[in-house]
Amino acid sequence: MMAKYQHIFVLFEHDDGNALNVSYEMLGEARRLMDGFNERYALDERVIAVLLGHNVRELAYKAIDAGADAVILADHEELRYPRVNLYTKVISSIVRDRMLVKQAAPNTSDEYVKPRYMLFGADGIGRHLSSTVLAELESGLASDVNRLVIDDVTITHQYKTNGKPELYRHVLFMYRPDFSGFLWTQILCLDNRNPTIAREYSPQACSVIPGVFKPLQRDGQSVDDGSRRGGVEEGYRIVEYKPEFSSDDLRYRIVRRQIIKDEIGLEDSRVVVAFGRGIKDDPEGNIRMIEEFANLLNAKVAISLPLSKQPFSVSSAMKEKYLIPARVVGSSGKRIAPRLYIAIGISGAMHHIVGMKESDTVIAINPDPDAPIKDESDIFIQGRLEDVLPILIESIRGLGPSR
Amino acid sequence: MNHDKDVINAAVMVKLEPDLSEGNVSYNPDGTLNRSQTKNILGPHSAIACKAAMYAKVCYDAWVSVCSMGPPTAEIALRDAMGLCCADELHLYSDRIFAGADTLATAETIKHGIRKMGRSIDIVFSGHRAVDGETGQTGPQTAWKLGFNFIGNVIDYSIDLESRMVKARRKIDLPGLYTVIEDVESPLPALIALDPSYRDNYRRVSERLRYARLMKEASRRAKDYKSYLRVWSAKDLGVDVRYVGLAGSPTIVYKVEKIPKAKASRRAKVVDPSNVEALREVGNLIFNIAFGER
Repeated sequence: MMAKYQHIFVLFEHDDGNALNVSYEMLGEARRLMDGFNERYALDERVIAVLLGHNVRELAYKAIDAGADAVILADHEELRYPRVNLYTKVISSIVRDRMLVKQAAPNTSDEYVKPRYMLFGADGIGRHLSSTVLAELESGLASDVNRLVIDDVTITHQYKTNGKPELYRHVLFMYRPDFSGFLWTQILCLDNRNPTIAREYSPQACSVIPGVFKPLQRDGQSVDDGSRRGGVEEGYRIVEYKPEFSSDDLRYRIVRRQIIKDEIGLEDSRVVVAFGRGIKDDPEGNIRMIEEFANLLNAKVAISLPLSKQPFSVSSAMKEKYLIPARVVGSSGKRIAPRLYIAIGISGAMHHIVGMKESDTVIAINPDPDAPIKDESDIFIQGRLEDVLPILIESIRGLGPSR
Repeated sequence: MNHDKDVINAAVMVKLEPDLSEGNVSYNPDGTLNRSQTKNILGPHSAIACKAAMYAKVCYDAWVSVCSMGPPTAEIALRDAMGLCCADELHLYSDRIFAGADTLATAETIKHGIRKMGRSIDIVFSGHRAVDGETGQTGPQTAWKLGFNFIGNVIDYSIDLESRMVKARRKIDLPGLYTVIEDVESPLPALIALDPSYRDNYRRVSERLRYARLMKEASRRAKDYKSYLRVWSAKDLGVDVRYVGLAGSPTIVYKVEKIPKAKASRRAKVVDPSNVEALREVGNLIFNIAFGER
């Protein structure tokens, strides 16, 4: 069989040289996936990082260190910051350039057309780029994925297979939690084998939730022990790509950039008090009580994701102060590890747990004995916040003035 | 198509979505959404896109056309959108063939729709993401297919009619690093995806007066929305049916399962709140962690 689609390509994301952790996480996961893939299918496909930027060669070495067999580097002053349309052209050109990919992975087949798999971060850079690159490559994309598995599967699908069972090989199972955090959807990107609509869809691509996958263990030293494919005998490869731009491409300009620090400071707070949908019986009054409780402890206030969608009618002062995305803890918000995390009326959907599980001590207040937050708590007060908080507030007051 | 230099033709892409606001949303006992008990509305991010389009109407006298792909009932999303942006036209792309589309196939349909609007569109507004699908992919994919510049996470924008450039302020969250506020300039045509924190900001009195007048007109039009509405089938749009709906979707939803309960990572001591003494002990613990030695 012709190998038109090969390798896994990972977009190495950074801001002007500052790498995003998700880049290392994706490379670690890509390494694990392809090691398993190569062993199972007796193939030799590579992990290739795609790195765009200006004066970022240093990051190419870090990408190798983090699991890439090769890096394709487009280093140009016009690429210093991401611009979606410009970056999309460059990334698409890179991954379709057979000679270039051959330089990065010398065993690439002569029939190579496009990547087999591609990974992006589900963040301010990768979310849009994954969309436009896959629109250009005319293939499928899953977003906000937190589990990846490669397997073979027999599918019977009205459109894809015209209702007949068909075996698909090397399928990337892309798992994404839905908005409720309770359902896991497996998304597959499959060729249309149905002759009337026959089409090949490659790469199979996704954006992955930051903080989910583990980077390779580094322990302060290089993971380059020569055991990885393409290792000692070939050496890891850093291949340069020279992009060309038209004057039209450059009419989209970045005029000014400003880095802003987070005003709320959840990450730096010793104690964080978080609340969720459990405030529903008296949203305004309960938020006020939680505010009082947090002030007493010099704690910062966080919320669960559903609250940032402002599902309650509360005064606009409360809404603008508390029900805002900047206070969200979880996979689509902050990941924090305070000394003490107090979860009030939060059920503990997976995407919330991701954001707080590293806390030293966790105390949860929830009337539901089956709430998943219980399994992440050291102390679980099984009751309504309306009953519990007044007693806690009173007892803490009695212990002396807050310092 | 030739342009009058000062004219801005705007399109808005909106979506009918389940109403996830408290009191309206219904969850099954296992925490999943009860779709049959939850009514559908104009998505909140779509509503923000409409506000941005209204801004173009107020400040640049833009002609505004709202479109949506969805079932026939999605016309209520268009009606509500009209009430927010005083649209001049409503377009519903509704055909059984469109059903089951993933983001690529949806973008394909909307691309055809926008090209068939009868005017050369300068700027398209889209929401940040749908509250049910939550991919945020359809906006940028539509932009790419149209050949428009894509500008995402926009918190403020203006248009320079003379140079036909859009100036936009973007808010880019980089998890683990920081947030960047970026000012960009892009030639038209462009597709703007609004950040959830976008607020329309009418700086001049004349703009506020015009806004008030247009809002009145908007509610008048919304009552009579059907006379502004055109429903398009796949044939009307002239799409290649192999590229839309399920047939044109590279991805499928293979399985939906409950997320298995993770192995308990901590063993909780359970406290009964009627035991005031036990609660006081918890209060002690909290106090000690909050104010004890580091």
